[in-house]
Amino acid sequence: MTSPSSLKSAGPAAAPAAAGPPDRRAPRPPGLRARRRRENLAGYLFMSPWLCGFLLLTAGPMAVSLYLAFTDFNLFDSPKWIGLDNFSEMFGDARWRKSVEVTLLYVVLGTPLKLAAALGVALLLAQKRRGQAFYRAAFYAPSLVGASVSVAIVWKAIFSDDGPVDRAQRGLFGVDVGGWIGDPDWVLYSLVVLTVWQFGAPMVIFLAGLKQVPQELYEAAEVDGAGPWRRFWNITLPILSPVMFFNVLLETIHSFQIFASAYIVGGGAGGNACGPADGSLVYTCYLYVQGFENSRMGLASAMAWMLLLAVGLVTAVLFWSQRRWVHYEGGVGSR
Amino acid sequence: MATSRDVGRRSLLKAAGGSLAALGVAGTAAACGGSGSGSGGTVTIRYAWWGAEDRAKRINKSIALFEKKHPKIKVKTDFQPYLDFWKKFNTQASGGNAPDVFQNAIGFLRKYDARNVLLDLTAQAKAGELRTEGFRAGLEKFGEVDGKLLGVPVGSNSMALVIDKKVHDKAGISPELGWTWDDYYKSLRRIRDTQKTAGNGGMHGIMYLYDPYLRQQGKAFFTEKGLGFTESDLVEWWEEGLAGVKSGLFADPKKVNQIKPKSPTADGLAAGEFTWDNFAVRYTAEGDSAYDLAPIPTSDGKKTGQYLGSLMLSGYKRTQHPKEVATFIDFMVHDPEVARIMGYDRGVPATTAQYEAYEPDKDKDPVLKKVNTSIAAYEDSLVEAKVLGPITPHPEGADVVEAAFLRINEEMALGKRSVKDAVKQFFTESKTALGG
Amino acid sequence: MSALAAAVRRRKTGGSLVWHFAALAVLAVVLYPAVWLIGGSFKPSDDVIGSLDLFPGDPITDNYTGLKEGIADVSIATFFGNSLYLAIGSVIGVLISSSLTAYAFARVRFAGRNIFFTLMIGTLLLPYHVLLIPQYVLFQKLGWINTYTPLLIGKYLAIDAFFVFLMVQFIRALPKELDEAARIDGCGHARIYLSIVLPLCRPALITSAIFTFINAWNDFLGPLLYLNEPQQYTVSLGLKMFVDQEGVANYGGMIAMSLVALLPVLAFFLIFQRFLIDGMATSGLKG
Repeated sequence: MTSPSSLKSAGPAAAPAAAGPPDRRAPRPPGLRARRRRENLAGYLFMSPWLCGFLLLTAGPMAVSLYLAFTDFNLFDSPKWIGLDNFSEMFGDARWRKSVEVTLLYVVLGTPLKLAAALGVALLLAQKRRGQAFYRAAFYAPSLVGASVSVAIVWKAIFSDDGPVDRAQRGLFGVDVGGWIGDPDWVLYSLVVLTVWQFGAPMVIFLAGLKQVPQELYEAAEVDGAGPWRRFWNITLPILSPVMFFNVLLETIHSFQIFASAYIVGGGAGGNACGPADGSLVYTCYLYVQGFENSRMGLASAMAWMLLLAVGLVTAVLFWSQRRWVHYEGGVGSR
Repeated sequence: MATSRDVGRRSLLKAAGGSLAALGVAGTAAACGGSGSGSGGTVTIRYAWWGAEDRAKRINKSIALFEKKHPKIKVKTDFQPYLDFWKKFNTQASGGNAPDVFQNAIGFLRKYDARNVLLDLTAQAKAGELRTEGFRAGLEKFGEVDGKLLGVPVGSNSMALVIDKKVHDKAGISPELGWTWDDYYKSLRRIRDTQKTAGNGGMHGIMYLYDPYLRQQGKAFFTEKGLGFTESDLVEWWEEGLAGVKSGLFADPKKVNQIKPKSPTADGLAAGEFTWDNFAVRYTAEGDSAYDLAPIPTSDGKKTGQYLGSLMLSGYKRTQHPKEVATFIDFMVHDPEVARIMGYDRGVPATTAQYEAYEPDKDKDPVLKKVNTSIAAYEDSLVEAKVLGPITPHPEGADVVEAAFLRINEEMALGKRSVKDAVKQFFTESKTALGG
Repeated sequence: MSALAAAVRRRKTGGSLVWHFAALAVLAVVLYPAVWLIGGSFKPSDDVIGSLDLFPGDPITDNYTGLKEGIADVSIATFFGNSLYLAIGSVIGVLISSSLTAYAFARVRFAGRNIFFTLMIGTLLLPYHVLLIPQYVLFQKLGWINTYTPLLIGKYLAIDAFFVFLMVQFIRALPKELDEAARIDGCGHARIYLSIVLPLCRPALITSAIFTFINAWNDFLGPLLYLNEPQQYTVSLGLKMFVDQEGVANYGGMIAMSLVALLPVLAFFLIFQRFLIDGMATSGLKG
């Protein structure tokens, strides 16, 4: 696919380092064992920052939380082993089941819409046009603000009774909801709109991915008479697919873990930390309420590991599906 | 012999070393900000509280004064909004690293005592580091739980009815101490019919209102261990609330949600609401109308069932410096100059010395002058009328019950639960929270 | 040939109109809330909530001028300085540690790779709330409370699997012939990493830099738990000082501050997105 000449210009910075003894041009093929050992060593060395971080900072706390999942722990007294009680309480809890429903709805609606918006706009912005830098920054701007109190105030204004959304809804569809934020049946949709609005992160990742597509491939295809749709299907999508996979996976995981917007925008002061009448009681928000507001960290840990199992399953399915649609250039191994 | 392997390994190590070096630099640069007990006999204590920038400025000034008078004690402050404060406090206390002194409220005394977080200040009081006399209205008793002194009140507050004065004047209503719930509902209907607005922002989810209401009947929201009322009591209370929402006496809960964190009365959605009297300044600052404090309605024309609530200062059980903690609390509670700096920010000052030192009608800020004068008048009237009863420290888990009360009432008001179902849910959740 | 060029050009102008129309339409929807925020920052505080007007009837600048006095006796510059220190420190850490790790996963065949990769993805799945207290206790035992170390160390140890995985995906999309050829030339992994993969991964590096900067800038929970003195606070903590349930809320000031707080992030984005776009052109793949 790539001309060998491109290698030479691969990196000017590499030039001095490349000046080794000339007789090394054709090294003796090392023994298989030695080679494997060298690969292992290199792998662990390169991986060492993450491995240290994992062992020092992540593995311990994760193991602790797994242990806590089987205990009664109120943050202060030492945890008391209660076996599977947390899990049976969880499954019997109507609010927990509600939180599962709410989260699934959020994931199923929010993730595809956000990714579609991100990909659409990324394709739009990948074209060289005047003012494209401005548009890129403007479209990314909403993602800069996160889920702050300021965003909560704006969202309440936009989705309140007689706000722009309410007026449009009445004018266009003749439906009078009376504002989304205060309504237990509508508040979740305002959060879906919020996450779609903040499509900047996957958009930037798509854009970066699109930049990896060698321009000459398009030129060659255009010369061959391929239309824009075929070029997209045959060139863009395959090369973009690892990035696409990344976005799908990460957005799905993040959607399952949505917390800040439900807590800050949907919720508010007082007892309804997760939206009016639990309208935006997403899973992590309920987990937070149990862990920190009700001081039931054992139960919260059980909930967390339950979520890990569920999302892990989804992740595994996505990884498994990869071989059907993700195209790796330099892929080694099966993934 | 330089093989490619060696080159690779060396540059790799260099890269790894670089990242570790960068880490080290970051670590040492940050460590410079560390704290702890200083040298030369000075002691540093940490003081954490909830609040916003205005309170911060006042507290900083008070601390500057304290450090001048007690040059051997340094106070480092840390503050967040209410919910973040407790998140941080719980994490710190769980790790055994809570601040030496912290703001507290009467509802949390038992909860944190049960978890061995609170310092018993009795020994310090006996040693004379902390004066327990000179408090108003029996407030010195508020911090005592099971014979231990777990908190010292800095100010008092009480439930009140904040009303939109303009709307009430136009409707020809002037609430008086001793008015009954019948009178109150009559006024709500009048406001709805003549002023075309809800008379109240919604009151049936407020634990601190239902409590005085129950006390008027000789009951209470909490006993020492559990709930002090029955399911049928609550059915009656919530049915009344639901009917009021449907008939427009109370503001539409959906709209109340939409304007949070602003209050329905300040926004004009309702002509009044029940809240703590020391929150009154918010209404004047956030709303366009004129606001006033009105008394809690009664059942028998006399008893309001009210008590004083209180913001407190507590010490951390594992503090290294209990003596300095006591000295600091004593200063914050008794020093007249502190009262002039703090005003009514922490409620009406708890000690007579501080109560007399700050005269609200001489406050330089016109809004505070007006609001604080009316708060003082309101609390004076309560003391004079002798309606105030004693408050009992809430049982462990009370904060969870309070939140459930608010939430489940809202679910009912929004039509997501029937009254019966709501009451059942509340009792189930309360049982879990209060420990069986 | 020239006829073809003219046709292409004609098509391009037509396309350009459609393009700008589409971009403007998206822009209008996307920026409405931002415009509302800007309008809100010129409203008096008691008009910010519950008001439906996009712009203030009588604009005031007090919300901005008030910031000059600082928040709660801490100057705005202190908050910004602290945030900037953390954000830049984080970017450096993430770029180094994540790219090294990602290279291992994407290009080195070593024993246990699949297990470690699965573990790394696994760390993405656990909601962070249940890790807060064990992590706090850990950092406390290490004596790092009230320093920036707990906020930075994870970045230098590639603790955020998001970035590692992002770079893995980008590296795997690079043509394999490149490093095979380099290997035949006698390059070891370090050389391939430094002179081939890193330059070609520039879009991914820039993307990671932008996200890391923003995450660190907006991070609230970490600074909340680990910093105990207002002088060390970051912008995200400062933003929370305007409103509390017990005091008079300063919504106007908060919105003004949140807009000012956007400027460094926006600047960072604007500077680096240029590299993002030029990434491929200069990396030499086009030859």
